[in-house]
Amino acid sequence: MDMSVIGYAIAAIGASISISFAAYAAVMATARQPEMQPKIFTTFILGAAFVEALGLIAFVLALMK
Amino acid sequence: MGPLEELGHHISELLEDLGGMTMFDFGWGSITPFTVYLILTLILVAVIILSVKKRVTLIPKRGPTAAVEAAVDYVRKEIGFGVLGSKELVDKHMPFLFTIFFFILASNLIGLIPGAKAATGTFSVTLTLAIFSFVYFNYHGMKHAGVLHYVKNIAPAGLIPGLNVLVWLIELFSLFLRIVTLSVRLFANMFAGHIIMGVFSILASLFVLPAIHNFSLATLGGATPALGWLILLICIYALELLVAFIQAYVFTLLSAVYLHLATSKH
Repeated sequence: MDMSVIGYAIAAIGASISISFAAYAAVMATARQPEMQPKIFTTFILGAAFVEALGLIAFVLALMK
Repeated sequence: MGPLEELGHHISELLEDLGGMTMFDFGWGSITPFTVYLILTLILVAVIILSVKKRVTLIPKRGPTAAVEAAVDYVRKEIGFGVLGSKELVDKHMPFLFTIFFFILASNLIGLIPGAKAATGTFSVTLTLAIFSFVYFNYHGMKHAGVLHYVKNIAPAGLIPGLNVLVWLIELFSLFLRIVTLSVRLFANMFAGHIIMGVFSILASLFVLPAIHNFSLATLGGATPALGWLILLICIYALELLVAFIQAYVFTLLSAVYLHLATSKH
């Protein structure tokens, strides 16, 4: 195993923490205002997509080198 | 040699397969399996949408027509009215967004058929999609505000003269970065998903193989981890089904957001 795997693991830690923060906030917001659910979900997906891209870039780079 | 030692060799084989080997070389370009799946996806989407279009009635029917109608309605409501706002803008821009959405969705779903490849699993296709989206929102932004005004308004107004140029350059860079992030997000999602599914199926088969070659109680005991990998594979497959929808949705949503940002500046 080479160092790129460790690099991917670090990126995955960052991405997982950020997505869990976003999910936490989305759940809290939905619980407070259930009628806003579609809009909150869209915003959550948008934020998650931005974060997730970073983790996936690391994954692809780790495999391709 | 244990199953896990063989894994590295099989993974490099899998990567080569996902990279897309050349089937036919012209010199200025080549046909890869992805090209074939790209054309297949385009034909499939055209056939489905055109046949559904003919069968649309005021009272909804059951079956595939209702499924496509539900997808159209969801995208129109959430992305169209949710992001673009007015009905006039929705009617104007929805054809482009629907095209992107259904192409990516169909291509992602075709990629989930075992043995098939997703056209969006290669960087060239996603880059082309992103460039189309980039050109589209810039064109409409320029048409809305005028070319000079649009280019000037890349930087927000109200900055002191020296800082103005610096912010304009940074904003221009981030504008072009949108092509990269749009394309890499879709490509990396599809690529990573297929690699994970491939690795799990390779692992399942590697653990089962000794039991098939010489059947005994000991080799059968050694094959039990394969069951675990198989269950994991099914779970990941379900997740990838979800990702196929989410990525199509995210690409369309981001295109709509960029379009809204470009056309609402004044």
